[in-house]
This record gives sequence, structure tokens and C-alpha cells, in this order.
Amino acid sequence: MTNADAIVAALYFDGKSSRRHSVTLTVREQVAVVSGDIRRECAIRDLRVSERFRNARRKVTFPDGAYLEILDPAAFDALLARTGYQDSFVVRMQQSWRGTLAAFAVTAAILVLGYLYGLPAAANFAAKTLPVNVERMIGRETLSFLDKRMLSPSTLPPARQQAIAGRFRNLVTPAEGAPSYEIVFRKSRIGPNAFALPSGHIVLTDELVHLVDNNDAVMAVLAHELGHLHERHLTRRLIQGSMIGAAAMLLFGDVSSVIANIPTVMLDLKYSRDAEREADDYAIAMLNKNGISVSALIHVFEALEKEQGDHSPYLSSHPPASERIARIRGAR
Amino acid sequence: MVNPDELLAATEFPDQTDRQHAAPGTQPFVFTGSGSEYFRIWIVNLLFTIVTLGIYSAWAKVRKTRYFYDNTVLAGASFDYHGSPVSILRGRVVALFFFGAYNIAFMISDAAGFAALALLGAAIPWLIWKSLQFKLYNSSYRGIRFGFGGTAGKVYLTYLVLPLATVLTAYLLAPFTHQRIKKFQHDHSRYGSTSFSFHASAGSFYKAYLIAFAIALGGMVAIGLAFGGTFVAIIKAGGPREAGPVAVGTIAIFLLVVYAWLFSLLPLFLTLIQNLIWNNTRLGNHRFTSRMRVGKMAFIAVTNMIGIVATLGLFIPFAQIRTMKYRIESMTIVPSGSLDDFIAGVQENASATGEGAADLLDFDLSL
Repeated sequence: MTNADAIVAALYFDGKSSRRHSVTLTVREQVAVVSGDIRRECAIRDLRVSERFRNARRKVTFPDGAYLEILDPAAFDALLARTGYQDSFVVRMQQSWRGTLAAFAVTAAILVLGYLYGLPAAANFAAKTLPVNVERMIGRETLSFLDKRMLSPSTLPPARQQAIAGRFRNLVTPAEGAPSYEIVFRKSRIGPNAFALPSGHIVLTDELVHLVDNNDAVMAVLAHELGHLHERHLTRRLIQGSMIGAAAMLLFGDVSSVIANIPTVMLDLKYSRDAEREADDYAIAMLNKNGISVSALIHVFEALEKEQGDHSPYLSSHPPASERIARIRGAR
Repeated sequence: MVNPDELLAATEFPDQTDRQHAAPGTQPFVFTGSGSEYFRIWIVNLLFTIVTLGIYSAWAKVRKTRYFYDNTVLAGASFDYHGSPVSILRGRVVALFFFGAYNIAFMISDAAGFAALALLGAAIPWLIWKSLQFKLYNSSYRGIRFGFGGTAGKVYLTYLVLPLATVLTAYLLAPFTHQRIKKFQHDHSRYGSTSFSFHASAGSFYKAYLIAFAIALGGMVAIGLAFGGTFVAIIKAGGPREAGPVAVGTIAIFLLVVYAWLFSLLPLFLTLIQNLIWNNTRLGNHRFTSRMRVGKMAFIAVTNMIGIVATLGLFIPFAQIRTMKYRIESMTIVPSGSLDDFIAGVQENASATGEGAADLLDFDLSL
């Protein structure tokens, strides 16, 4: 190949008809010269050159939509080199294996660090910046929904209800600025349970009160749920969940929404367990501050585990009871 | 120096001499993309998209689409994509606003949720229409742009009224609606000044749905028969624990087989539909053929899924190239004359259809 004058074979399409023209391309003094079936000149700064791919023909597009398909890639590369053409930074990065490997390493590092530290920190910041009123608005209708489907009025004697609520209200919280809350008593169709709603309601089921059958243990359960409210876990989980969902769609959505949902569910599990650990720590601190033995909280987990075994719906998204008990023993 | 005529010879129509009378030979679509090359584009796109919190995704889309188009070759020329990243970004911001508002509205109250749903229902057909126009206007082959016409009335009939009717008839209308959507898309597409046309009947869509349903059902029955003996044994033994570890292992394999089967149903169905659609689409008097095979496509889909899960997603670009290569290379065009005679027609009626390239938004709704 003689590329002293770098003459490049190409096809020319004029942008007006699909007819193909055989031409050659050369560059003289920053002007591209097309000759052959068609004669045409154009300043090279007005031309767009497509990216170099392994098998695809490169295209040189004129401002009016006409373009050349290059038939002789080696001669074209020589021509580009001679005119001082340089690929963009992104193209150079992807065309070297070193650049690709670096991109892979950085992407993986960002994803892992973002999942472990970045997203929880950002969600924590966002949740604590968001006024409580907004959070309450989000969860306003959850309790009435649950009342229709899964809960019925409590059969605990009113005196017992008042004793529980009154005692808990007199406890000191481990940190300043505990949010306002309301303890609601309900009979449950889904077994012993207690949960906090974004609306500030702490739902305590009769079944759980009967199961633990111990006033200190009920205080421990309530302290754990108040921990969820105080730490804004519900809003944090909501933000983290939707961010993971968005990231999974970005990564896998092109291929399959079935695959995109797998990481969402699996990755959310860690956040769920982290939140439970935080609420346990909150409960431990609250019990210690009020002179109640933390064995009350251990009693709750033991009772739940005995009642429902490992398959408890209450424990499934939570750390294993044995691990939580060991943690409490450690904290003591 | 390379002689252009020698290079051209390989791509010439077989009967150049008499192209007025005899139809030139069938032209296959060829896809020259490679997984390892696309992997590099994909990973660099991913990095910049993450670092810019999604903003780069519009540029990433252009680079990805250009890679696919540049590597799609028909009769010795490749396709080209002209979409502007800024327009795509604007479209994505609008789409994000709509879907974000919809998601938040239901958290606030049911009334706000239904209001957002109604707004979305009114907006989506229009967004789909603009998205189709954007996609086709920004695609070209041999320097001539594709285009998309259509009217607002037809858009709302096809993408709002018919889907609602489908839901109300317990999905009995689904094949009919599917046929109307494809008819709308293909009848209003054009290449230069030449229109595409669509000739598959609603009846043929019902037939494709029935075949897919029968295959799905047949597969489930076959799986049931294959594993039935084990289940009877387990029930007789009084439970999986009593029946021993072999029975438990069989249940695990059973679940895996069912999952793989369910996962291959969608590509199987899409195979039937792609063949139906392209075998009944014409561009002027030129016909298309699509000869995808169900078994091959199901094999690609299942092995892709295994690859993606086993590599935690790194196989995705390879999977996309494999699927794309099979789908594209299953297609041919059967010309009724020379492919050299298309005339660009977009310039004249650009204003009539509102196709000012810069004003269009791409909403990237993959349908």
C-alpha cells in the first residue's frame, strides 16, 4: 500500500437518494477532496468522523447529510494520522484494555462503596433533613389500610393498655428529640408482631403482649420500635430501596426486568438487618438509661424464636435471633 | 492503493445487468458487532453514567446505538444514528418527572394517585408517538432518513382506548390490540419518501398467541409428568423430609426447570411475533423475511440468563450482542427492484408532521 498521498477508497451517498457512488477521498491543505463518480470538496473541520470499531466501516458525514463509507480502513487511518485527527478521551479509554480495566475497577469500587457507605449515609442525611410532617403524610393511610385487612380492635383490658402506654411514656429516651408517637393496640390476624409506621403509630398486637407476658419485655419491644421512628428507618429504607431499584434497572433493565429485581430484593436485606441492629442498640440504650435489665429484650427474641422457629415472618428480614441475643449480651 | 471496484464486487447485487426486470437476489441483514468490543463501550458508558449520576446516560445511549447501527449491514451499506444526546437527556428528565410524580402521588393519597394515573394515561400515548418519531427520524441507511407520521387521533386510539378495552375484556382483545399497535407502527413508518406497510391480520396474531399458549401449557404438562412420580412418592412418604435427600434434590431441580421454562417463554413468544411481524411488512414493494427459530432463541435466552447471573452482570454486553446478532441475521430483504432507487422525502413534509429534529424528545420507552 502506498499511502504517501493517502488516497482512500470509499462509497459516497448524497443524502437525497440511496444510490451508491464509488469515490476516493484525499485531504489537501485541510480540505477533503472527493473524486470519482462524484466530485466534491469540504473543509475537514466541518466533517464528522464516526468512531473506529473492529468490523464496522467508518463514516465521514458532510454537513448536508451526505456521507462516505470508508472501504479501506488502513489508508483511512493513515489519512487521519496525517491530518492530526484525535479520538475523544472516552473513545481512547475504551479502545485500550488498560483504560477498560481501569473503568471496570473504578465502577466496581463505586458500586460496592456506594452500597456499603454512600447510599446509607445519603439516605440518612435526606431522611433527617426531611420534615417529620412530610414523612407522616406518606404513611397517613397505612394504618386504616391495615385495620381493614389484617388488624382488629384489641381485646386487652383498657387498664392494661393504659398501664403499658403510661409506663413507656415515663421512660427517658436515649437521645434528645424523640419524635411524637402514639401506641395503638390491635388484635392481629398474622400472629405476634409489633411495628412502627411512618405516621408515628407504634402498633402493638395483643398476641405479642401475651407471648412475652412480661412488662419489661413489652417496654423493650416499644423501645425497639421507637428506635425505628427516631432513626427515621422507614424513610431511609424507602430512599435506599428506590435508589437500588433505579441502579438495578440502569444495569440490568435492558436485559430483563426479572433479573433486575433480584439484586433489589437481595441487597435490601442487608439494609433491613442493619436497621434492626440499630433499633436493638436504641432499645438497649433506652433500657439501660431507665434501669431496666436488657435481659427483657433477650426474653422477647427467645419467646419469638420459640413460638415461630426460624421461619417467623417477623424475623425473616431481621438478623437471626441468636445473633441479636449475642449482641445484646456483648453490649451489656 | 485498493481498487474500490474490487471491494464493491463482494457486495453487488447478483444481477446488476438487468435490474429493471428481474428482482435482484435476497439480501441478508448482517450484524458485525462483537461481545468483547461492546463490553468496552458498555463498561465505560456505565462508569461515566454512575459518576455523573445518570446525566451521561444520554450520551451513552447515542454511543451504544451508533455501535449497533454501524455494525448492521444490508446490501453493502450500514445504518447510522443521528440522535442528539441533549434531546435524549431532555426527554429523560420529562419521563422521570412523570414517573416520579406518579410514584409519590400514591404515597400521599389515593385521590392524588388516581389523578397522577389519569395524567400519565393521557401523556403516555403522546410520549410514545414522539419517541417513535425521534427514533425513526434519527435513523438512516445509505444517507436517507427514516421517518414516522401518524395522527394524534390514531395514537390515542391505539395506545389508550384499545389497551383500556383489552383490560376490560379480560385480555381477550390482547392479540387484536397487539396487531393494531404493530400496524400503527409499521404503516406510519417510512424510509425517505417510501412508506412501510403492514399486512398481518388480527387472526394471525390470535393464532400466534394460541401457539405460544399451547407450547407453554405443553411444557408445563411435560415437566409435571417428568417429576410427577417423585411427588407421588413424597406425598406417600408423608412429606419431603421423610422422603429423603434425593426427593429434596429433585424438588430443587424441578423448581429450576420450571423457572428456566417460564424464563424462556417470553423470548419464545417474541420469536413467533417477530417472524409474524417482519414476514408481513413491506417497504414499498420490497418484502422482508424473518426466520427466527424458537428453540435457538430459547437456548440463547436461557444461557444468557445463566451467564449474567454467574458473572454478576458482566456478561450483559455479550448477551445483548448474541441476542441482537441472532435477531438481525434472521432477517432478509427481498427486493422487488433496485435498492438504489429510494428518494429522500423527509425534507418536504418535515414541517407538516412537526418533525423538527431539535424539538423532538426521545423518551426511550422500549416497546
